[in-house]
Amino acid sequence: MIKITRLFQWTIFGVIGLFGVLGAANAIVTLAAIDRDLTRETRENSQNIAKAIADSNVDILLNNDLSTLQSRIDQMLPLLGSNGYIYITDEHNEIIAHTFVPNIPEEISTSEPTGGIIERTLKGKGDFFEVSHPILAGVGGNVHILIDQDDVSLLIQGAMGNQVWPLAITFLVAIVLGLLLVNLAARPIQQLLHYAVALAKKESVDKPQNDKLLVRKDEAGDLARLYQYFALVADPNRSGIDAK
Amino acid sequence: MNTKKTDRFSNPTRRTIVKGLAASPLVFALGANKLGAQELSQMSSNTQSSNSEFVNGVSDSQIVLGTSAAFTGPSRGLGIELYRGAMAYFQDVNSKGGVHGREIALTLYDDGYQPDPAVNNTTKLMRDDNVFALFGYVGTPTVTRVLPLLKKFQEESFLLFFPFTGAQPQRQLPYGPFAFNLRASYRQETGGLVENFVKVGREKIGVFYQADAYGRSGWAGCREALAKHNLKMVGEATYTRGTQYTASLKDQVEWFMRDKPDAIVCIGAYAACAAFLRDAIDGGLQVPIANLSFVGSENLLKLITDTHDNSEKYSQFLVNSQVVPSYNDLSLEGVQQYDEFMTKNAPSAPSEVTSKEEDYKTFDRSFVSLEGFLNAKLMTEILTRIGPEPTREGIEQAVFTIQDLDLGIGETVSFNADRRQGLDRVYYTIVENGSFVPLNDWTAASNGWTEAASS
Repeated sequence: MIKITRLFQWTIFGVIGLFGVLGAANAIVTLAAIDRDLTRETRENSQNIAKAIADSNVDILLNNDLSTLQSRIDQMLPLLGSNGYIYITDEHNEIIAHTFVPNIPEEISTSEPTGGIIERTLKGKGDFFEVSHPILAGVGGNVHILIDQDDVSLLIQGAMGNQVWPLAITFLVAIVLGLLLVNLAARPIQQLLHYAVALAKKESVDKPQNDKLLVRKDEAGDLARLYQYFALVADPNRSGIDAK
Repeated sequence: MNTKKTDRFSNPTRRTIVKGLAASPLVFALGANKLGAQELSQMSSNTQSSNSEFVNGVSDSQIVLGTSAAFTGPSRGLGIELYRGAMAYFQDVNSKGGVHGREIALTLYDDGYQPDPAVNNTTKLMRDDNVFALFGYVGTPTVTRVLPLLKKFQEESFLLFFPFTGAQPQRQLPYGPFAFNLRASYRQETGGLVENFVKVGREKIGVFYQADAYGRSGWAGCREALAKHNLKMVGEATYTRGTQYTASLKDQVEWFMRDKPDAIVCIGAYAACAAFLRDAIDGGLQVPIANLSFVGSENLLKLITDTHDNSEKYSQFLVNSQVVPSYNDLSLEGVQQYDEFMTKNAPSAPSEVTSKEEDYKTFDRSFVSLEGFLNAKLMTEILTRIGPEPTREGIEQAVFTIQDLDLGIGETVSFNADRRQGLDRVYYTIVENGSFVPLNDWTAASNGWTEAASS
């Protein structure tokens, strides 16, 4: 157990507070960066998948080979997490292939054509963001990718969890080290206090730690020697003091 | 020949050597080996590599075809029955000395009706087993994924024969030139069903389909057929491939209940379609429920009859399209032959690739096994026409020599560079007295469905 000297109590509280503020600020900045980067990365990945489907299946669409098209989007589906969906609309905005079970959600079947990134809530399925990419500049239809926002949140939480632990451990180690350093700084003062009390009580001060204190070349040594001087001035016959 | 037989006994592989009745102990001996797919594959590879007389799946005594199909899982009945039908014919051919002195052998793999295993199996068949040709695959999602492999290995002239799917990818560019089909397409089946429903005034047609390439193929066929009548689908719902009969499909039924269709076309496999039929009728959706040939009609009906005392309550609404004639129509020479060979050869399920844990009772007769039988009959004809020195490069030209070939089912088969599908006819069946019979009068049937719904 580390004992904190009264002299440095406020100092150590200040150090802990400072570390806390620094740690919290670091965590907020890091977690915000993770949230922003992973959200952006997920959306970019979705856009890339949509683009890949749109660009690589033009011939299949022009051949009206919907079973091969379905096979292709089925292969892409595992890339979208546990609850992702793909659907493809033709130039008339009619859905010609999709991965919904047991049916196409009404929010989608009745919606107007979309583009870019939008957010959707699908009844019974959750909250999604939807990424779209045109096929042949839109004249061949559009590819739509739905990513479950819960999946993204889980991904972000997982990444945050990975960051929070190192930050928390660093914070604790810093506090312990701070305490140790303050304690190290306070030790000569405590020795000086014990020496001064012994002189005042006219107790024996012939101890190895006092010898070490008296030969120190810092403020603690100067003060120890000054106390010794005052003790000898007050009582020149006092024994047990080896004037240095 | 004798030495080879001894070798096969001592070094069994998962290859099924199709023998006649006289050699049935050999079939049994091979079939009884409980080997995992990987072990089997390794053993086969070792056998192939140590047996230098095999060149591209052909030796002096054998010609080897490769199959990847569903032998396990909820659609296993399709792979097993198709295989049994083919075996009934091949066993007879082999018992009479084979084709130009060579027995026809099948190298089998199970893909469980899943695309990724089908791709892996096909790669093994092409690269490790180096079979002569691919034969008797099952399913659209599997075949659709396998087709690019045929293009990849086109320099080795691999061809896929008579897959059990009516989807378009193997019937049109870019993969059409790598396959030959015997059966009519899903477009033809769905087109016929829609046409007949519309004719009897049932214009509000919903589609229940498997959420994959197969379902999409049938969905597209329905959409196209409806568009010819300026109609659109009235409701659609999907299910996940591999859905078992025990699953509830009430959500899908509820969806249709809102739209109230006059008829529903199902594009699925038997377990899910039987579950949908059950939940639809129980949920008050009492309209004709049509299924395509792929469903495996007998398997579907068996699930319903095994679990319900009053199975007619459900089966009276069934109308299934078929791509082969009724196996009960013994006026047809080809069906007579099928009937005779199924009795004589009594083909069993391929124990090498089926699961010991999954109980499966084979059917004496079925539309699927009849299709397998006709596939094998036509394949044998092709192998015969290739001649005594078969090469993969020679297969296509041999197929193109087939013109107006009579398989004994009242419809001739012809092939050429632009025609790679042998049959076009679609048959319609309903259930009477617990079995499927031809549907000849759609008006009477429609009236019957209306009466049944109102009662």
